[in-house]
Amino acid sequence: MTDLALAIAQADFPLPMPGATLYHYLLVSALMFAIGVIGFVSRRNLIIMFLCTELMFQAAGIALIAFSRFHLNHTGEAFVIFVLTVAAAEAALALALVVLLFRRKETLDASSWAELKG
Amino acid sequence: MRSGRKARAAGFDRRLPHVGNSLRSARSPDLSEFFNPVLLYGGCALGALGIALALPRRGVSPQVLGAIVAAIGLGAMFLGLGVATPDGARPRVMFYIFAVIALGASLRVISHPRPVYAALYFILTILASSGLYLLLSAEFMAFALIIVYAGAILITYLFVIMLATETPVESELEALAEYDRYSREPVAATVAGFILIAALSTLLARGVGELPPPRAGSPDVARIADLPGKVERILRDSETITGSQRIVRDAEGKPAIDLSEGTALVAAPGGEPHAVRLPGDLVLTNTEGVGFSLLVDHPGSIEIAGVILLMAMLGAVVLARKKVELDERARARQLAAHRAAAEGVSL
Repeated sequence: MTDLALAIAQADFPLPMPGATLYHYLLVSALMFAIGVIGFVSRRNLIIMFLCTELMFQAAGIALIAFSRFHLNHTGEAFVIFVLTVAAAEAALALALVVLLFRRKETLDASSWAELKG
Repeated sequence: MRSGRKARAAGFDRRLPHVGNSLRSARSPDLSEFFNPVLLYGGCALGALGIALALPRRGVSPQVLGAIVAAIGLGAMFLGLGVATPDGARPRVMFYIFAVIALGASLRVISHPRPVYAALYFILTILASSGLYLLLSAEFMAFALIIVYAGAILITYLFVIMLATETPVESELEALAEYDRYSREPVAATVAGFILIAALSTLLARGVGELPPPRAGSPDVARIADLPGKVERILRDSETITGSQRIVRDAEGKPAIDLSEGTALVAAPGGEPHAVRLPGDLVLTNTEGVGFSLLVDHPGSIEIAGVILLMAMLGAVVLARKKVELDERARARQLAAHRAAAEGVSL
């Protein structure tokens, strides 16, 4: 790479975060993911359970963006767009299911469908 | 300054392969170089205790106390990281603000008994994590996140919460359904979650690396040569080219921009082409970079994403149109409620 290309590469961008390590962002992501897991396992309302899966998607997004920044390319960011797509599709389907289940039993309790486990 | 940063970045790149090695050497002697394990694991345990207390439960539910304990625990975890990062550097305060808001709000998502408030706290989580995205200089994704998540997905959730709730009664907690008031196995769930955290942070501990400055050595910069319109606009703004002068294109339509020389060939229509110097501060903005990555590197994935969305939409429509019979128990409950209401009126 010539000097000019390097100058182009480094010119006029926000300063790097002093001292913020990849690890900090990964820890935030891991904590958010674990909170999502805890919520998904322990809450009984179907809607909140699906909100917790969104929380886990969100945690994955933070990790992807942090890795994308760490490796200095945009692949991670493009991947977050696909995560958003899947999240939107999941929300649409899951919520249609929730409405369907609610119309049948008039309750959002996940354990009221316990007979499905056979 | 710049060179010091680069040297450190290179140092962390060398360290990256060790991420995998730490699987084998979890008890490696230099683990404590990077963080304070007492604070980290103590914070883990404290955070677990706090979250277990904060989840709604039968009997006395010390939610506020739980939130405070969880906050102290999570704070200790970050302190454990901050105390001994490799060169003693600490993240700037904005990182902590956004991280605390995001984690606090997500804790409230799982602990709030009312689904509407849980959804609103989830929007707060989204806003805080888009703040984190901004700190990571991913502006495009930050705003896309707010628009798509907070604007679209969460509104769908709110609509469904509105559609699928039992008729509320007067007093506050009594109106909540039983399944909203009590969570299932809060202690076991929290212990499992925090064992996950402890394991993850142990494995990650060796991968500490300061983030190098954006774009340095990024191959994406070369793509500016594929953006003749942008280059032309910049040249025109700096009055390097005037009037009807355009960047020359060769027979295949490729613009004559030479980044390694820092020049571009321009010519008026029918005129003789001549080389002009490009300004030294050409950069690929975040949005342009994401666009290239999406449309040039992953064009197939976009098509697949479109198909996924279409199928999800069809599925949702088919599911929601289906006529459902109430099952016997629900019908009996409804009947009883109607009868009770009728008796109440007649009395």
